[in-house]
This record gives sequence, structure tokens and C-alpha cells, in this order.
Amino acid sequence: MSLDYVKFTPGFGKFMPKEYRDMVEAGPFGKKTTVSQVGTFKEILEEHPMCAGCAMTLFIRLAIIAFPNPEDTITVGTAGCGRLAISQAAIPFVYGNYGDQNGVASGLSRGLRLRFGDRPKDVVVMAGDGGMADIGFAQTLHSWFRKEKFTTIMLDNEVYGNTGGQESGMTNKGQVLKMAPLGKKFEKMDMLGMAKVAGCAYVATVVPNNPRRVESVIKKAVLIAREVGPTYIQAYTSCNIEYAIPTDQVLQDCKDVENDRYKFTEYLTDEAKEHLATLYGYKEYLPKPAAALTKG
Amino acid sequence: MYLVANIDQEICAATSCKLCTQYCPEANTIQYDTELGKDKGFKYGSAYVAVDRCKGCAQCVWVCDNMAKHKAIKMEMIDQIGDQALTENISYHGKTTQAVLASPWKS
Ligand SMILES: Cc1ncc(C[n+]2csc(CCOP(=O)(O)OP(=O)(O)O)c2C)c(N)n1
Ligand code: SF4
Ligand code: SF4
Ligand code: SF4
Repeated sequence: MSLDYVKFTPGFGKFMPKEYRDMVEAGPFGKKTTVSQVGTFKEILEEHPMCAGCAMTLFIRLAIIAFPNPEDTITVGTAGCGRLAISQAAIPFVYGNYGDQNGVASGLSRGLRLRFGDRPKDVVVMAGDGGMADIGFAQTLHSWFRKEKFTTIMLDNEVYGNTGGQESGMTNKGQVLKMAPLGKKFEKMDMLGMAKVAGCAYVATVVPNNPRRVESVIKKAVLIAREVGPTYIQAYTSCNIEYAIPTDQVLQDCKDVENDRYKFTEYLTDEAKEHLATLYGYKEYLPKPAAALTKG
Repeated sequence: MYLVANIDQEICAATSCKLCTQYCPEANTIQYDTELGKDKGFKYGSAYVAVDRCKGCAQCVWVCDNMAKHKAIKMEMIDQIGDQALTENISYHGKTTQAVLASPWKS
């Protein structure tokens, strides 16, 4: 894994599809590309079969743009809608069995550390709420308790979208869905609380209608997972099909849900703050000068 | 027939806020060209849509109407909007892209 893996064997470039040539010549590999530059460079994500206007698609698109070193990143996913897009990106994607993703990612990130030592190779899990909080719950929690150093991102559409509308542990109480006709009887699971109890070094909630914020949380989560410990992002990524949201209202829904029950939250351990400040130049996490402390 | 997003370059090029590009769920679909609209005296260039990738969700319309407040994007039938940008005709030039417009209905 290095920048070379995206390049062509000499002489073969002219036989490659245009999208691939654009990727090599104008893609983000080896550069510091940002969300504000979209529309001017070739993105890693390609065409894919996720539904028109799906907020999960938008989130995945932004997340992939935000990876600090895309050429040194491997994504891990599982059954569910998200993998339909994540697998169509020019970075290696490992498809775990349904619910296995955090187990697969544990082995992968350990193996990469053995093979590459301190050279950062980032492992990022992206999976649905069903795959993560229900079927893969034990593997998710255990990877956190074991302090496995990789990033876990929940694509929380609050439903089993890919299989037609069953309730998940992350569905809100009372919600009626196609396959939950009486409404869900239990509260939404507190995965954020559990992530903190289990020892995640960084925990954040985010919605995709704030692209710069998505970029910021992804970067922090990936950088902290390199050396400090497990990181968890829970993203509200509505399913416009199962929740019957007209596609031109998906961003309005993101806004409403953010204001209502998915406010931006961010938690970092002191070690994570110090790590970001000293290794990656995050000035806001530098220790406050003593004078400023006494003033307050 | 089906709807795709169509950006009015004259409205867009007056400000070119580049907001919609960040909110389209599809990658490399709303692109940006710093030269578009310059022939009409606008300074900043314009966004345009690679119509072969547009899924017709109209999120960009919401963004341009409600966030940017420019109302530059309309959903239109793909066979009624004339020459458009297509992925195969887009080239990348550092801080901008360039699209040679062509009919989506080539024989
Ligand atoms: C072991 C196993 N059980 C069941 C399935 C069927 N299955 C595929 S996707 C899915 C639900 C996905 O829901 P979620 O994880 O919330 O992701 P979403 O599609 O909502 O993004 C299920 C049950 C499977 N693929 N493997
Ligand atoms: S079923 Fe729902 S979550 Fe899945 S791609 Fe369609 S809108 Fe998105
Ligand atoms: S939001 Fe509207 S004005 Fe802004 S770049 Fe897009 S089309 Fe142009
Ligand atoms: S209609 Fe949807 S897919 Fe098409 S350009 Fe607008 S936001 Fe993108």
C-alpha cells in the first residue's frame, strides 16, 4: 500500500477507462484535498446504486473526501445500504459478514501495524445501525473494550433500510415502520454512552448537512485512532425511502432532526486532545497558558 | 423521460458560492468551472451538472434556494435542456474543471 498502487503500469494508461485516468491524474491521492475544493478534483467515490437523494450517500461521499491519507486507508463494511457505495471507491474495501465488521477490522489493523510498524495505515469501519448496534453489537463493544485502534462510523438511518424497514435498536421509541406496524416499544440505544464507558478516545455525533463539520470529525477520529485508541462517530443518515422523506426535503429533515435530537456533540479524552495538539497541530487543544487559566 | 438538475449559469456565475457542490449526494456530479460565464462578463465561473451522473433528487435545488438563496437550479427533462456536461467530456485542470457541452442524446 502506497501511492504507487493507484498508478498505471507504464504503457497501460491509454487502455484504462477515463474515470480511472482522471483518478490518477486529478485525484486526491497524496494531496491535502478538502471538502471546500469539491467540484474541482476527481473524487475517490464512483457511481453506485444507492437511492437518489439518500443522506447516507452524501455522508459517505463527504467522509471519503475527509480521510486524512486516502492512499493509506482501508474501509471495512458489512451488509446494508452503505456498502453499495463504499465498495465503489478507489480505496480497498473489506466486506465482513453481517455484524463481523469490528472483528474483521481488529485483525486488519493489528496486522497492518505488524507489517508496517509506525507508518500510519488507517482502518475505518462504516456500517448501518442494524449491523452495528444489533447484529454486530458484541463485536463492536468488544473491539472498544480491547482498545482496538481504528475508527467506527455508524451510518444511523434508524431502520434496516436495505431489507425494507424493520426496526433496529437505534430506531426511536414509538416509531411505526413497514415491518414495525405497532411502533417500536423500546428506547433508542445509547451507543454514545456505551462508547465512552467502553473507552473510546473520541466520540462524536454529526449530521451530513454540515459538510465542513463532517470533514472535521472524520479527520479527528482517524488521526486519534492511529495512536491513542478506538474512535466512534454516529452519523444521522436518514433513509428517505423507509421514512418517506421527499428527496428535496432530505436536507431540511437533517436540519430538523439535528435541532431536535441529533445535536452536534464531541467528546475527546485528554490524551486524545494532547495527541491532536502535539502531533497534528490542532492549536485549540494546546494546554492553556497558566495566566489564562487563573483569569478564568 | 426524467428530470435532471440544470444550473442557470448567469445566476450562478454572479456569485459562484459553490455550496450545492458540497451537498449533492453523488460524487463528481456538480462540478465547477472558473471560466464558465466569463464570455458574458461574469467574473467567477459557474457550477454545472454532469447530467449522466445526476439522479434527479433535487437536493441541490433546495440548497441553492434555501441556503445560497440564489435560485439558480431547476429540475428539467433531460431531453429538453439542450447541450449539457457529460462525464466523458470533462477535464481536470488543477483548481478548476472544464466541460465541453454536448447533447446527452448522441446518435
Ligand atoms: C447474517 C445475516 N443476516 C441477515 C442478513 C440480511 N440483511 C442484509 S442487510 C440487512 C439490514 C441492514 O440494516 P442496517 O445494518 O441498519 O443498514 P442499512 O441498510 O439500514 O443501512 C439485513 C438484515 C445478512 N446479509 N446476513
Ligand atoms: S433504502 Fe434508504 S438508506 Fe438505503 S439507499 Fe435507499 S434511501 Fe438510502
Ligand atoms: S448553490 Fe446555486 S449559486 Fe451557489 S454554486 Fe450552486 S448553483 Fe451556483
Ligand atoms: S438533482 Fe441530486 S443528484 Fe442531481 S445534481 Fe442535484 S443534488 Fe446532485
